Amino acid sequence: MIRVGGRLPTIRRPTGPLAGEERWAWLFLAPTLLGLAILSAGPIIAAFGISLTDWDLFTAPKFVGLDNFGQLLADRKFGIALRNTTFYTLTSVPLGLVLALGIAIALNRSIRGIAWIRTAYFLPVVTSTTAIALVWFWIYSPQEGLLNQVLGLFGIQGQRWISDPFWAMPSIVIMSVWQGLGTSVIIFLAGLQAIPQEYHDAAAVDGAGRWARFRHVTLPLLTPSIFFTGILSLIGSFQVFDQVYILARPGRPTEATITLIYYIYEKGFQNFKMGDAAAASWVLFVIVAVLTVVYFRLQRRWVHYQ
Amino acid sequence: MFETVRSTSPGDRSLKRAAAALAVVALLAGCGGGGTTTPSTSQAASPAASGGQSPAASSTPVAYNGPPVTIEYSIWGDPQEITSQKKITEAFKKVEPNITVNVTVSDWDAYWDKLQTGLAGGAAPDVFAMDGPLFPDYQTRDVLLDLKPYIDKEGYDLGQLADQGVADFTTADGGQYGLPRDLNVIALYYNKKMFDAAGVAAPDGTWDWNKLVEAAKKLTKDTNGDGKTDQWGFYTETTDMENYWLSLVWQNGGEVLAPDKKSTMLNTPEAAGGIQFLQDLIYKHKVMPDPAITAETGDAFEQGKAAIEANGSWLVPTHTAAGLDFGIAPLPKGPVAQATSVNPTGAVVFKGTKAPDAAWAFVKYLASPAAQEQLMQLHASLPVSKDVLSGPFATAFDGAKVFADSLAYAKLKPSFKGYNEFAEALQGELDENVFNAPNKTAAEALAAVNDQLNSLLAGQ
Repeated sequence: MIRVGGRLPTIRRPTGPLAGEERWAWLFLAPTLLGLAILSAGPIIAAFGISLTDWDLFTAPKFVGLDNFGQLLADRKFGIALRNTTFYTLTSVPLGLVLALGIAIALNRSIRGIAWIRTAYFLPVVTSTTAIALVWFWIYSPQEGLLNQVLGLFGIQGQRWISDPFWAMPSIVIMSVWQGLGTSVIIFLAGLQAIPQEYHDAAAVDGAGRWARFRHVTLPLLTPSIFFTGILSLIGSFQVFDQVYILARPGRPTEATITLIYYIYEKGFQNFKMGDAAAASWVLFVIVAVLTVVYFRLQRRWVHYQ
Repeated sequence: MFETVRSTSPGDRSLKRAAAALAVVALLAGCGGGGTTTPSTSQAASPAASGGQSPAASSTPVAYNGPPVTIEYSIWGDPQEITSQKKITEAFKKVEPNITVNVTVSDWDAYWDKLQTGLAGGAAPDVFAMDGPLFPDYQTRDVLLDLKPYIDKEGYDLGQLADQGVADFTTADGGQYGLPRDLNVIALYYNKKMFDAAGVAAPDGTWDWNKLVEAAKKLTKDTNGDGKTDQWGFYTETTDMENYWLSLVWQNGGEVLAPDKKSTMLNTPEAAGGIQFLQDLIYKHKVMPDPAITAETGDAFEQGKAAIEANGSWLVPTHTAAGLDFGIAPLPKGPVAQATSVNPTGAVVFKGTKAPDAAWAFVKYLASPAAQEQLMQLHASLPVSKDVLSGPFATAFDGAKVFADSLAYAKLKPSFKGYNEFAEALQGELDENVFNAPNKTAAEALAAVNDQLNSLLAGQ
């Protein structure tokens, strides 16, 4: 641990369990912990309370025990939302990681204007999803859309994309991956630049080629970055909402595109069923929590810290 | 959300959804995304009506004599409507110097999200706009003020307002939880140039379904000979019952709900026949473009790619702004009846308002001839004041009288608790299997979704 306490003037010699640097650590963590407790833990606990009731937001909630969870399991639409979200996660997370890694390696060099190129990759991250979705909406348009026009140049028959049940979710995945690339690329770039050049030199001296150096030097030392990016993407992918909400057509997400968060939104804000919405939120919370724990457990097997 | 009929083109709708999405994203903690709110562009891209007389003192005696007060008034709408509503509140201030009205406008989706959180937190606007079909969801949850005591006390004459408009905000036990503010009906728009070019006589009150199909076939053309249709005879929106298929169900003798609103009557040959007619226009007669595509590309009539459109009276400003030379005619009669849908927007009062007297005074003013004449100038809806309907509105623009006259046979869009959930389940099935692809006949789809609809209605 970094010695923070020692550098700061202390009035008396600390003793006891919260003494010294540990006390300082808690002090510095306090704002984050307080924020988590009030803004995250509070609503999570409250949501569990709501999930045990029938509540329409306006009239007094009625306690119904675990009924809402039972209804959820019986609701075909919930199953569809779960299936679509799983598809989204299984495709967007690996695709995003592989592409970001490739781009980061390509950008990890000193050529003229590299800073500008790196910025360009980060732009979609700081652009509002609304603006992005409107542009992609045009790209995917069945008539004048860019994608179909480009495909047309190669004599390939265009698709409906967003309104086609088969292509709808892949279309959303592609847009989301493109939008999220910047974050992962930045983290990978930082990871790549933290790898000492000596390791590469040593490997080269030992006769390792480009691929061998990548496989045995770069990749192992990049695993902490991959781990970190992976967990962020995983959690984010379960919360996919705005892309679906804006892009899905016509008028609303169909069975092909409805996701868990959209399901929760629809139950709560469209159908006045806050109890059902809270129950679905808790199911989502548990899924994400379990996956996160499993993911952390697995890290010893493949993550190497320098 | 299923009232997206009010937004006219999908491009516009996507902006509204976009802005709303951001609002929702802000509500759902931990959800990624963000950015700046995109202002919703105009549905009513009307040449902003500025002419006409400014609304003078209402003929209705206004009875507010309380202390000076400021009330909040929330509506959904577009920039043109803000201007119009502000003119109305300014005129109101002249009549009632003690009441100041602040207007806030949101796009459709964000409006309801904000309203719900406001009502739940006890901080809702004093007066707000209410869509007919969604009214029961709010009224039954005890968040609206019954205006009946005011009406009785002042002897306010509800008979001066369009009957359907009043009825939509009346409850079974005789309560009146709002006054109508404006109405929208469905009619036919037709492109005069295309009709002339094809030598087809303009639609009139004598048209029936057969005549519509016959004319639409003549007006469907492959103008450049590439084997693809460039000009469609007919166009409508299929994603909400209001735009057309609800009227078709009625015209065929069908009904959406049983009178007690506890079960659906869509699983009948009459109702199915109405919806089947629309599917046939697309896939059998091939006079209407694929709805899955037009849902993304926009209103084919507005773009000059379709000769006839069945749709709402709210489209007049849009079609005018598009520079179309168009006429307006009644919907063609069905095999059983002449029918169209009317859907009122009302002004309702928050039960928790601190200024109920002032709120009532304002609601009453909104329905007064002075305010109605101002609102009417947008040409985006029908006034609710009978005097204005038969007076200045009837000659306000070419076709206005067709709208006004259709009220004689117009029926209210179904309005019941749980409307959104019902519409989601129903439209999901129809869009996927009837309109966007002919996977099923209307009868098959309605049979498939029947149990689900009935259990939704029973659960309310």
